[in-house]
Amino acid sequence: MKEVVEGSHAVSEAVRLARVQVMSAYPITPQTHIVEALSEYCAQGRMTGRFICVESEHSAMAAVIGAASGGARTFTATSSHGLALMHELLHWSSAARLPIVMAEVNRALGPGWNIWMDQTDSLAQRDTGWIQLYCEDGQEALDTTLLAFRLAESASLPVMVVLDAFFLSHTYEPVDIPDQTAVDRFLPPYRPKVHLDTREPFALSQMAPPGCYMEMRHDIQAGMRRVPDLYTAAENGFEEIFGRRYGMLEAYRCEDAEIILAMAGTAVSTSREVVDDLRDRGEKVGLLKIRMFRPFPTDLLRHSVSNAQKIAVLDRNFCFGLGGIFAQEIRAALYHGEWRPSVFSYISGMGGRDVTPEIIKEVYGLAKAADRPETESVWVGLDPATCPVCRTA
Amino acid sequence: MTYDPEIMTETPMRISRSNISTEINKTGSWRFVRPGYDEKTAPCSSVCPAGEDIARIEMLVGQGMFPAAWETILRENPFPAVCGRVCFHPCEGVCNRGQMDSPVGIHHLERVIGDMAIENAYAVPHPFYGDEVEANRRATHGKNIAIAGAGPAGLSAAYFLARLGHACDVFDADSEPGGVLRWGIPWYRLPEDTLKAEISRIVDMGVNIYCRKPVTGEFLAGAATSYDAVFLGCGHGRSLHMGIPGADKVQDGLKYLHDIRRGKNTRTGGTAAVIGGGNTAVDVARSLIRLGVDTVIVYRRRRQDMPAFEHEIEMALAEGVRLMELVTPVRIDGDDDRLSLTLQQMRITDMETAGGRCRVVPDGGRTRILKVDRAYSAIGAEPLESWSRPPEQQPDLLKMSHCTLSTHPVSRLPLVFGGDLTVPVKSVTDAVASGKQAAMMLDTLFREGKTGIPERIAQCQVGGGPALSMEIYLSGSRKFRNPTIVPYTAINTDYFPPADRAVPPMTSPSERRASFEEIEGGYSPETAVKEAARCFNCGICNDCDNCRLYCPEVAIHIDGTRCINLDYCKGCGICVVECPRNAMSLEEEKS
Amino acid sequence: MIRSPLPQTDYMTSGHVGCPGCGATVAMKFALRALGEKTMMVIPACCWAIIAGSHPQCSLKVPVLHTAFATAGATASGLRAALDMRGDTETVVVAWAGDGGTFDIGFQALSGAVERNEDFIYVCYDNEAYMNTGVQRSSSTPFGTRTTTTPGASWKQTRKKNIVEALAAHRIPYAATASIAYPEDMIQKFQRARILKGGSRFIHVFATCPTGWRVPTDQCIKIARLAVQTRVFPLYEVVDGVRYTLNHDAAPRPVRDYLSIQGRFNHLSDVDCDKIQTMVDEDWMLLKRKATPWPPLKPAYDP
Repeated sequence: MKEVVEGSHAVSEAVRLARVQVMSAYPITPQTHIVEALSEYCAQGRMTGRFICVESEHSAMAAVIGAASGGARTFTATSSHGLALMHELLHWSSAARLPIVMAEVNRALGPGWNIWMDQTDSLAQRDTGWIQLYCEDGQEALDTTLLAFRLAESASLPVMVVLDAFFLSHTYEPVDIPDQTAVDRFLPPYRPKVHLDTREPFALSQMAPPGCYMEMRHDIQAGMRRVPDLYTAAENGFEEIFGRRYGMLEAYRCEDAEIILAMAGTAVSTSREVVDDLRDRGEKVGLLKIRMFRPFPTDLLRHSVSNAQKIAVLDRNFCFGLGGIFAQEIRAALYHGEWRPSVFSYISGMGGRDVTPEIIKEVYGLAKAADRPETESVWVGLDPATCPVCRTA
Repeated sequence: MTYDPEIMTETPMRISRSNISTEINKTGSWRFVRPGYDEKTAPCSSVCPAGEDIARIEMLVGQGMFPAAWETILRENPFPAVCGRVCFHPCEGVCNRGQMDSPVGIHHLERVIGDMAIENAYAVPHPFYGDEVEANRRATHGKNIAIAGAGPAGLSAAYFLARLGHACDVFDADSEPGGVLRWGIPWYRLPEDTLKAEISRIVDMGVNIYCRKPVTGEFLAGAATSYDAVFLGCGHGRSLHMGIPGADKVQDGLKYLHDIRRGKNTRTGGTAAVIGGGNTAVDVARSLIRLGVDTVIVYRRRRQDMPAFEHEIEMALAEGVRLMELVTPVRIDGDDDRLSLTLQQMRITDMETAGGRCRVVPDGGRTRILKVDRAYSAIGAEPLESWSRPPEQQPDLLKMSHCTLSTHPVSRLPLVFGGDLTVPVKSVTDAVASGKQAAMMLDTLFREGKTGIPERIAQCQVGGGPALSMEIYLSGSRKFRNPTIVPYTAINTDYFPPADRAVPPMTSPSERRASFEEIEGGYSPETAVKEAARCFNCGICNDCDNCRLYCPEVAIHIDGTRCINLDYCKGCGICVVECPRNAMSLEEEKS
Repeated sequence: MIRSPLPQTDYMTSGHVGCPGCGATVAMKFALRALGEKTMMVIPACCWAIIAGSHPQCSLKVPVLHTAFATAGATASGLRAALDMRGDTETVVVAWAGDGGTFDIGFQALSGAVERNEDFIYVCYDNEAYMNTGVQRSSSTPFGTRTTTTPGASWKQTRKKNIVEALAAHRIPYAATASIAYPEDMIQKFQRARILKGGSRFIHVFATCPTGWRVPTDQCIKIARLAVQTRVFPLYEVVDGVRYTLNHDAAPRPVRDYLSIQGRFNHLSDVDCDKIQTMVDEDWMLLKRKATPWPPLKPAYDP
């Protein structure tokens, strides 16, 4: 049934429909609406799960690790500093092969305190072994959350569902909220592969000496390697019931594009408009939406950019000492590909700064004009008046 | 495509998940010291002349197991109800508990065990721990022993010899058996019924007691025809004479005790003096007091030098007996109804002598007169017959701690001298010890020959000896006991809350002097259990289970008995320290 | 042959790698005897994280969930929620943490969990330093101790944190101290804690560490007993954060008896020992006062 809901609440509805059994979270703007809604559902009796109001994000992740080890379907949500605080346990949960689903609202890291849109927080966790899926709009947020449970439980890996702060989390949109019966068909009750049971005692997560540690690590990657297949299978199932699918990447008007814009999150929506506009003016431009970031869809990426000369990546994040993260990853993925377009790295829209159509057009213009990419990422939209020392590269 | 949860099954998922027991790690290899169960000897049992397994006895009483406690005593001593009344309890003097608060009431506990056995007719334990084959074999090879004297030594010898399968005939000059027990110790210390019950138990074992039939020199000469050995426990039947003018006016103390036992010579009232300082003198005085006679003991040394047991002296004084120290009579005048004793004052010349008592000499010419109606002497005794004296310089003489064995051809059969004739301390329990030693000596003589005796006796020592254990002689489990004596420092006193020693009911001095009724009551069974629980059970395991409880390696288990699994024991030593009673030892691991 | 009334089944196996004479292993042994097989242990980083065995071995016969250092309180909360959601209300969840994972890095998660009155038993086995990592000081290290991070003249000058008081302030249903030298008392407390389902129960167990305290291995139990006898580690219980019961109230032994036999204290002067005696006496007095029954308070106003 279609309702106008906030992006956060689209996620909450999905969690409710997924019949999550144990949730635990600590409030941090702009994740709060997700968890408030969940508390509300529990109080109303619309959800029978336990919601544990912990005293920090680190404890929130610990609690869901405990719950997942006990065999429950689990969920948490956080953002920015909360995610950073959880860092050690992100490593822990993936190596423990626990199918935890987490909604992560992309928010800037301080200092200075900044509660607005920035992708650095989730991307800084790219090494932790979590599957990462980036959402463009409210419907996608809801659908991805449902997909996430099925994917996590079949891959035995945790999944991060990523939303833009405010631009997605606090924006109201019409969203088709499926009915429970349909969701139950898509997502049957969780049957854990490993969980603690006094009838068959064993220890989990104990010391693994050099003789066996590498094998365990290898198997995590083996799990990751299966994710594309599992994801596709899940989407097949989803489409069958709900009529929608998203893919790991979406190539929009890329078939004959000379320049392809690449990005993730709500900026994709804006870029669709810009691409259409530019196409109308004869520009051979396409848009690559990055949806699955981990595992990185290398083969699909190489296939999707097979005719372009240039990829202009818009990063709303930065890895200091290196550059925009999506750009790095795309560049690395293309390095050994048959067709190797140049990868231009552009930085904009950090800390909540809006990525307007003008900025996207500027990015396109810069990429088109340049023969070759700069060694360093190019910052777009810096305001020298605000900060005299800042300069565009 | 519908949801297929099995899609992941072919991908291995090695995670840190463990359920193989750590028991595959044999951590015993870490060890450099090794604990072990090592039961040791309690100090009490090493000074008990009868070598009773006191730690074990108290352990059993503490658990309410009176019959088992009694059986433990009977393996070493046939007279618990007697000794529990008259023994001078050297055990309590070395009791480790005494160093914490007060010694365990071992003496009183023995009495209550003995009394319960009589009351409930407990059966004597099988001498060979139930092995009927051994019993029959022994009986088949049993010898015939003649025993002179039905006192504690002779009766004990008969008891132990009978248990070893030998046939015993006991001969006594008196009308009733018991010797000193009946005729020397008044019944306020040892009631007649108690004594009779314990003697009848021995008779029930098949021992023959012939009263009014003293052993004579002629008997001994012809004994070889019917007997294979003779035990001489006739004691000291002749009192020593005072050897002063007028000594004939003085009555013999031992005879007095004998007489009042038969109901004779029970004149009451008046005054009396008792000359001497031993148990006999004290018993005479306390008997006189009960007959309303105002009594004074006259002793040549000081009270602390008196050979009588201290608590007996104390009781005598509490009952009204007076004591004159450092005086000795030098002449006695007067007639049967009124005597005048001339007492010479003595003085101490030498505090240190070989016997531990001071030396005294007459203090110049200082004398005084003591007028009493009657006087009794109890200055010592000696064997009545010359043949009952143990030979001194005979070839082939084997002198052991409590007995002397003569195998001289003149006697034509082995003679063992025991009891007061040979014991180092003239006490009832030493008499029992000598009976036991004699039984072991004779039994070994018959089985192995004389040369085997010293070694066999040495093997049976409790602690460092001289106490002997018949249990060890018969290869009971006591033979595995480590003879090391447990010192107080080895006891883990953390496990013993402070508790006062229980005091049995006792009549007041005024009540006591009014009758010959037994003075001391016994503990009730409940009190006995509580008092016995104060015992540390030095050196023996009482199943407290501390070792197994505290073992961090879960390496101690019970399989019949407690076993330490050396595959896992790391040698931490906690078990040894937490054993409250030093029944374990730690030794270096042999590499 | 066994005259003891204590439960006799062990859920800990031999072959674990605890140091010889390890008090923490005795603590676990007693705890599991009391708790039984329907128990799940949540173990953060601590000595027991290693003693429980390394993959693929396990020295415990109950399920164990190892977890990150700071998380025992939170992980146990989550595990409890999962078991409840799966309909298992019989199994008890026990967080088994060292002093580091309780007093220091784990304190936040513990405080958060018990403020929520989570239905679990949290056990801190206290060897008074970070022993697993090599004897570094923690906030449970007593005044006067030398550790590798309070060495030489810099021995620890601050008091041991009073964790039971901190927990009592949370008004949890049950908090108690226990000692491996008093097995009957300790097992009773664990049994009591097991029955008190529905809220947070906290047990602070004194666990001698011969290795870290530099005492002979065979003195493990004796030292634990001395700690109680000298009132350094009193045995008591707190119900609902306010009702105190002293379990052991006998004439004390001087604190010197406890300090003088441990290598970690052998640098202390007479003045230091006197100071410690004063601290112990004061703490005892405060405890006695709390254990004195008081009449219910009447409100200041009449509503």
